[in-house]
Amino acid sequence: MRGLVREWRLHVLSICSLVVAFACLGAALLAVVNLSALEQRWAHAGRASVYLKDNANEHDVQALHDALLLVPHIVGVRYVSSVEARAEFGRRELEMHGELAGLPVDAFPSSLEIDVAQDLTDAELADIVHKMRELPAVDDVETYRTWTDRLAKLLSGGVMASGVLTIVVLGAVLAVVGSTMRLALQRRRLEVEVLKLVGATDAFVRSPFVLEGTVEGGAGAFGAVALLACLFYLVRGRVDVEVAGLIGMAPTFLPWPMALGMITLGAALGALAALLSVRTLGTS
Amino acid sequence: MDLPERLRPMLRAGGSRFSRDAASRPILVFEGVHKSYRHGSPVLRGMDLVIERGEFVFVTGPSGAGKSTLLRLLYRAELVDDGRILFLGRDVARLREDAVPFLRRNLGIVFQDFKLVASWTVYENIAIVLEVVGLPQRLIRTRVAEVLERVGLAGRGEDRAGVLSGGEQQRVAIARAIVGEPALILADEPTGNLDPQLAVDILGLFGEVHETGATVLFATHDRTLLDVRPRRVVVLDDGRAMDVPEVVEDEYDNRLPL
Repeated sequence: MRGLVREWRLHVLSICSLVVAFACLGAALLAVVNLSALEQRWAHAGRASVYLKDNANEHDVQALHDALLLVPHIVGVRYVSSVEARAEFGRRELEMHGELAGLPVDAFPSSLEIDVAQDLTDAELADIVHKMRELPAVDDVETYRTWTDRLAKLLSGGVMASGVLTIVVLGAVLAVVGSTMRLALQRRRLEVEVLKLVGATDAFVRSPFVLEGTVEGGAGAFGAVALLACLFYLVRGRVDVEVAGLIGMAPTFLPWPMALGMITLGAALGALAALLSVRTLGTS
Repeated sequence: MDLPERLRPMLRAGGSRFSRDAASRPILVFEGVHKSYRHGSPVLRGMDLVIERGEFVFVTGPSGAGKSTLLRLLYRAELVDDGRILFLGRDVARLREDAVPFLRRNLGIVFQDFKLVASWTVYENIAIVLEVVGLPQRLIRTRVAEVLERVGLAGRGEDRAGVLSGGEQQRVAIARAIVGEPALILADEPTGNLDPQLAVDILGLFGEVHETGATVLFATHDRTLLDVRPRRVVVLDDGRAMDVPEVVEDEYDNRLPL
């Protein structure tokens, strides 16, 4: 640790570079974590919207309402009129986008919002949807499966991007810690020479460098997690209501095992980079 | 205070223990040692030399005669091209790479340029010898305090090595060389950077170390030091070692091919 203290400027600069690299990885993981949670939520939302035809009268709607309640796995049915649908769309959006404000009320079709049991399988839901589409008062049935599928694709893209980013960060950490250690080794070549002359084994000579690399990598990852946490809670306090309204859930920070894993990865990469950098110590 | 037997540095290779038979052999034997850095101009050509335990030997010769090379071969910074160097009965050239640190723990080496880490304290520069063998800190503190007193630097342990004078730095280097109680002390032009009076003082210090039973191999090209302390003198000339017989003082200068 003597080396860390004596060359603190070098190590602080190096740690700052690592913080940037790990912050990129952390941000990608944060996006993946929240997309995954959203996908899970939407996949198990247990909701479907039965859009009614414009000519469906009150009698048809009531009959359909009552019939749906008798279907196994459907646990609730709620009628949403055109006016209510427009109101749900959001007054604010209508005000912000003037062209939407001009839309007629019947631009938002009335619907029956149904809640299905959580244990309903995809096949059973598809069968119910198919039967409902045959009914004369029903225009269309939306199960949000399309959105869930899109989200799943987005999620797999995010996971892939995170994987690529992990490799990039791995390379960055190896390069940054490796360069720092080589520079430290160069600065301390007399120290190394003296150690070898007094009978220190290679492991003994390498150990402080490996320790410094471990601390550097771990500190870089920890700094990134701390930075992301600060930014996340700063931003979340201002926009979480809007985000929750938009996607139906509040964003969450990285779960602690993942954050801990990132710090461990940083430390391990730092140790590896240092070990690779000082693998040859000369023969004197 | 002597080190406990189990903590004394031992020459080991591949897990084999220090041989007690080695105590009856010469501490150092050079047999037909050849070393060349450039083709056609060998530094050492079939050098033979035997050094017994407890000897103080000056190795002298003109610049480029191979004095430093001889020492570097001994502490395995270089490898012989041919021949053998037996230290405590073991061929240094044939030691495995992982045994070299154990060889060096049996040697105390003093250099012309001191080789002290300027940013370390005097204490740290000396204590490192005992730290690498894993001695407890309490014992290290005691040993370092003892050797600092022996070299006349008692109470200077906390000073940075970089702020010391040349003579003081060389004393620290000698303290570092003797703190581990090595079997052999190698000095490579240890007075080369010092003024004549300091050089004599430092030589006196080596003499004191020798009187405690250490074997000393002192490489120098400074003829005045040979006059100060008449000892066995080995001259390196034309790649070979030649013992200079003890002579009366007025004949001395004429016999040295320097």
